[in-house]
Amino acid sequence: MAAYTLQRCLGAVKVIHKCGSHSFIARRSLLSTAYTDSKLWDAREKDHQNLALLAALMDRTYDRNFPVSSLSISRFVDNISSREEVDQAEYYLYKFRHSPNCWYLRDWTVHSWVRQCLRYGARDKALHTLKNKVQYGMFPDDFTFNIMIDSFIKDEDFKGACSVVEEVMLQESFDLPTTQILSLYALSNYLATKPELSMSEERALGASLLISGLKQDSSIGLSAQLLGCALLGKVEMAAGIHAVFRGMPLMWTPGYLGRALAVMERVAAAPGDGKLSKDAVDYLEGLLQDLSSASDSSSGEDDESGGEEGKKEEEVVVDEDDQAERDKLPLYASRFKDLSGQLQSRGKVDPSPLQVLVSSLVQQSLASAEGPDMEQYQRKVGEWEAERQQLIRREKEMRERAEEERRAHQAAKAAAKQG
Amino acid sequence: MVKKKRIRLIAEMARKIRAYRELKNRPRESEKYALDYDTMTRPHTRKTLPVLAWQDVRRESRLFSLLSGLRMFGVGHLFTRKSWLTEHPEAPSYWQVTKVKVDYTAENMDHGRAWGVLTYKGKQESEPKEMDKVMYHDWRLVPKHEEEQFKLYNPVPEPPIRYVSYPPLLRAMLLAQRQKDELGSAAEEPTLPLKRDVLLSKEYFRSQEKKRERQEGTAV
Repeated sequence: MAAYTLQRCLGAVKVIHKCGSHSFIARRSLLSTAYTDSKLWDAREKDHQNLALLAALMDRTYDRNFPVSSLSISRFVDNISSREEVDQAEYYLYKFRHSPNCWYLRDWTVHSWVRQCLRYGARDKALHTLKNKVQYGMFPDDFTFNIMIDSFIKDEDFKGACSVVEEVMLQESFDLPTTQILSLYALSNYLATKPELSMSEERALGASLLISGLKQDSSIGLSAQLLGCALLGKVEMAAGIHAVFRGMPLMWTPGYLGRALAVMERVAAAPGDGKLSKDAVDYLEGLLQDLSSASDSSSGEDDESGGEEGKKEEEVVVDEDDQAERDKLPLYASRFKDLSGQLQSRGKVDPSPLQVLVSSLVQQSLASAEGPDMEQYQRKVGEWEAERQQLIRREKEMRERAEEERRAHQAAKAAAKQG
Repeated sequence: MVKKKRIRLIAEMARKIRAYRELKNRPRESEKYALDYDTMTRPHTRKTLPVLAWQDVRRESRLFSLLSGLRMFGVGHLFTRKSWLTEHPEAPSYWQVTKVKVDYTAENMDHGRAWGVLTYKGKQESEPKEMDKVMYHDWRLVPKHEEEQFKLYNPVPEPPIRYVSYPPLLRAMLLAQRQKDELGSAAEEPTLPLKRDVLLSKEYFRSQEKKRERQEGTAV
């Protein structure tokens, strides 16, 4: 309830600022209240069940090695009414995933789970199940992803928002423009805080930036692609191409820095309006300088010491393709200088930072992109409802049929005893 | 003349129970294909993997390790194998997954069986088949934004099949046979195609084996 009022107030404040300056207030949610509130979801037909009874039923079914139906787990998740029950539901989701029916975990169950977690303040729980999607079978659809990212952005938790965006990237579900805009916003704000990034985080960020930027054709998309390729190139130089694409939907051909330079070339040659943010170009420049100086110093050391054991082992494994990449570094550096010169001369470098670009994009396009999303959501909720009712009907029919058979069987036994 | 065979009911029942127990306790895919990564042995058979595969096993992943992290177990995505990429890099070969049966006893949903449509060296097959070598550490996911470019293939047109004349003795025998069958010597010269039309292929033998298995039933 408190969340509702806060959202409404912020929505109002956002409207005032929309026609004003570029100053950005602290707590604001990007998606409109109509998008994120659960009126439509709560308007579904309620199926009140006692959670304890359901839990007992599920335990009995698991003990006897029978499959639990997707309807039981969806009923359990729908009827959560407190924080403790969220934990119980998590356990049952885990058990369902590890049962023969794991394929049949419904979309609406996942959506309901996320909504319930957000309602009862268990957002970290939702993030935990999302991160371990293999163990919990949590594969939300686009709308649910949007709601999650928005909830994180509202609380300025950009690190959490970036984890969700990473999951979206692993599912490659950047189809809706709302998802693209939200994820670019989260990523740019996270990068603006200049965090310390480990290699795996860099890899995830780079991949998310690249794949979300590929969908957008504007300057923000191109800058995101450039930054993503630069980050991935950094990881590639440090740890080899296998470390880059293992477990990620990325191409395995080596040469991510080459791809970054190809983006710059495309922007320089394209006649349109696409520009590259200065942030991205500066980052690539700094990266190339770091790498060149590092390689110079390390090659100097190699000549002297002749290589210790550990480094020699790595070199043996990392050989061939990766060595070829590292040798191309001076080539990249010189090509970068040419291309950046070209971009400057054609005025294709946008001096505003990435964050500002994204915010302007948000103000322009988010409201219009939300419309078709909401219609599709309404349609989907209708379909889910129909499916749920069909499942309930089918369960009732099967129960009736089993009852009838049992009665017939008993009648036959009684008749046999008498006769 | 033949003594009447005694019907051993209890032995029959024992046979059925043994078959049922074998079915219930059969080793799941997760047990059969579990691997100890330090010693590179499979605990189920206690056999070691070949040494040339060790680097691949450390670096690449099994198909189901990729499928378990995807929506609906990756149905509809394309998957290649690293060995195909190195063998014939110019002709794309990939599987498109249509059906997945995952082994739910695995902790990370890491094993199972999958079916899909194969495109080998650019030639797409018509029907989904069961994917083999699913447990090999060799698989890679083709990202959606690279799918189009990956599938591009300009097949080199195959040169027409050439024909060669038979060796003289065999040719004489064939012509003599033809004359006996009264086809006349006006028919054209018998020739030998240089591309082998394989009747007895791997598919044929596999189908024969399956037919035999079905007839024999389970081993007692």
